Amino acid sequence: MEPAVSVRDLAYTYRGQKDPALDGVSLQVAEGEFVVIMGHSGAGKSTLCTSLNGLIPHFFRGRMQGEVLVEGRSTREGKVGEFAKEVGLVFQDFEAQLFSTNVALEVAFGPENFEVEREEMVRRVKSVLSQVRLEGFEDRQPATLSGGQKQRLAIASVLAMEPRILCLDEPTTDLDPIGKLGIFEIAEELKNRDDVTLIVVEHETEETLDADRIIVLRDGRIVADRPAREVLRDVKLLEESSVMPLGVARFFRERGVGDEELPLTSEEGIKEFEARGWRVSPERHRELVEADEEREQSYGETLIDVEGLSHRYPNGVVALEGVDLSVRRGEFLAVLGQNGSGKTTLVKHFNGLLEPTEGSVRVDGEETARQGIRRLGQRVGYVFQNPDHQIFSDTVFDEVAFGPKVRGMEEAEVGERVEEALAAVGLEGRGEEDPFVLTKGERQRVAVASVLAVRPEVLILDEPTTGLDYAEQRSMMDLVRRLNEGGSTIIAVTHTMWVVAEYAHRAVVMKEGRTELSGTVREVFAREEELRDASLRPPHIVSLGNSMGHTVLSVEEMLRVTEGG
Amino acid sequence: MDPFLYLDRDTWVHRLDPRTKMLLLIGAFVLAFLFVNPLYGLVVLAIVLAFGYAAKSLTNLRRIRFILFMIAVMTVILWSVFGSGETPLFLFVEREALLYGAGAALRIDIMIVAGMIFLSTTRNEEIATGLVKLGIPYRFAFAVSTALRLVPTIAATGSTIGQAQRSRGLDLESGNIIQRVRKNTPLLIPVFVSTIRSTNVFSMALESKGFGASEGRTYFLKIEMTRRDALVLVSFAALLVAALALRFAGYGGVEGFSR
Repeated sequence: MEPAVSVRDLAYTYRGQKDPALDGVSLQVAEGEFVVIMGHSGAGKSTLCTSLNGLIPHFFRGRMQGEVLVEGRSTREGKVGEFAKEVGLVFQDFEAQLFSTNVALEVAFGPENFEVEREEMVRRVKSVLSQVRLEGFEDRQPATLSGGQKQRLAIASVLAMEPRILCLDEPTTDLDPIGKLGIFEIAEELKNRDDVTLIVVEHETEETLDADRIIVLRDGRIVADRPAREVLRDVKLLEESSVMPLGVARFFRERGVGDEELPLTSEEGIKEFEARGWRVSPERHRELVEADEEREQSYGETLIDVEGLSHRYPNGVVALEGVDLSVRRGEFLAVLGQNGSGKTTLVKHFNGLLEPTEGSVRVDGEETARQGIRRLGQRVGYVFQNPDHQIFSDTVFDEVAFGPKVRGMEEAEVGERVEEALAAVGLEGRGEEDPFVLTKGERQRVAVASVLAVRPEVLILDEPTTGLDYAEQRSMMDLVRRLNEGGSTIIAVTHTMWVVAEYAHRAVVMKEGRTELSGTVREVFAREEELRDASLRPPHIVSLGNSMGHTVLSVEEMLRVTEGG
Repeated sequence: MDPFLYLDRDTWVHRLDPRTKMLLLIGAFVLAFLFVNPLYGLVVLAIVLAFGYAAKSLTNLRRIRFILFMIAVMTVILWSVFGSGETPLFLFVEREALLYGAGAALRIDIMIVAGMIFLSTTRNEEIATGLVKLGIPYRFAFAVSTALRLVPTIAATGSTIGQAQRSRGLDLESGNIIQRVRKNTPLLIPVFVSTIRSTNVFSMALESKGFGASEGRTYFLKIEMTRRDALVLVSFAALLVAALALRFAGYGGVEGFSR
């Protein structure tokens, strides 16, 4: 049978770039298959996706070699619109691809372009909305949907064209855990249909277990194209490709289990653990808990004090209700919760972007409302999620110098602080570069440096790891840890659970504007049921420890407490 | 923030055909321009507001109340200072110039308010479909509705960027006018860059959904002229004719005003 997609020796270089984005890529995807594509930032994953429906070579400018055949037809032979019926492509940025005033019209847009009869359109709208579980949302404005619902709508709007091949480019990157789950449930159903071929770019390794095959890209080349479980057992390959290996697999590998026998999920891990007669040493675990307690003793005085905080937006939405919280000097606090739970609203009170409608927020003992954002900004730095929402200068130096300059510092002082901040984020000596040509990870660092240059005592980070690959996430968080060890108090809002487990000291879980759980990360992650209620799920390795009755936060900790065998 | 001005309410104004509403909008512009006298202008404003009230769409005016107010104040001041009349009022301001200024302010505000009510009661897709039914090519009609969508989206991005820059110490409130204008660079450049990036994704998404793949196109949205449309159009036409007659009979101006 003819493969659904056949890529032959594909190479592509974007105009103005020296290095090819894809180089000698050959692969085949059979009809009905579910293939996951992984790889570091800039490995060529999105380039591969856009070459499937002819955006490459027709939309982008650049040099293409080789061939892409969709259902036997070369993408060179027709317009993007002609292939759109065969290959549905959903982009990572779901905000930018929704443009209609209601859900039904959004879904109908594709069929309209293909001159589908109205009765048929009505049928399709109904059918795809039920596939993505958005029945009853027909008249809603897309802007009023949650992130997960928007992404599901973006998928529905592509499914309505009834493509035989569906390609999702990082569909879950910007979503909270519950939003992610919704997408995977849809993927699962599509996978079970023989007439839909599913190609998904994904960076969350724990979510790729159901795939038939995993293709790993590195620097534009394929380094692995094998059955999913086989690739997932290849811990070394994944690490070298900047893809996060599975925690459970890594743990067993470190304990000397051979690659072929590695368990992958926490359930498989538990079985294997018991079968091998291993035990968790309570004494060693006690040491971990004591280290936590010791760290807590070392914190300084209370810096941020929140009492009975409620916030109601001008449109009447109550985002926070009766929140109590205090943050001490030197802490590393993670704020968790699903989208719309009030996380960001809460932390925006700490630097004065928002003022309480009820209750009080004090920084260093003084009400934030009385200090004002300008004065508070010196003490409490805030790094926004998207670095592109703040970068505006021609050089990295000027960007970082902005904060000190607007605060009226002398030129010599400004220079000194910029150097210091750039060194802190690992960008020393790169002050003359143009920030707009840096990678996303580097732009994120520039954003952090630009806040550090004011030498704030508290650093708030909103989703610091979103959109970065595993290696970039690690180096970003190692940077944050160094800042914390250097005396900065850190508050991070995040969805990325392994980051919380390995880096944060304390966690607050928000749910519907209230604090649901609060405590050391170890205490919070021990309560899996309550986390699930707040739509959160700890990493597999934490679940493995929990089922042994002892909460560990990383593979390294699990190794330390395991004995026997 | 909500990127659309459209308010999804079920009123008879919403149910009118988009073509009817476009004609009404043009009619409202004509009415606004017909009269200079603010008293007549107030009557026109009352008619426009009545439509807005019937459409339950006056809430959207709160979003632009500051703009409406500033335009009104500036227009009245400019005309009072630069126009001249016969009856001195105070200082160098004459009664006729003040009246003319008030009339001119009403004109501009009426047009903005009418436009706002139009956008609050008509979906982007209805505007596009309506334009197509009026014989305008779909690509152009789609461009119009996309532009309408882009403005509020940019405003929303701008608000996030404003928060990010204020957190870094940007202070837009102090300094003289030139300094203040220059201070907008940290806002404008990121808005510009983000908009270009998202527009790029938007155009890829359009291509990927088969935009322009075939010559023709079908429409999910059904629009049709009903008896209600005819009734509204006829009564409005009668009103327009009456207003024209009134104006040509010499009513509705400001006597004794000169520039």
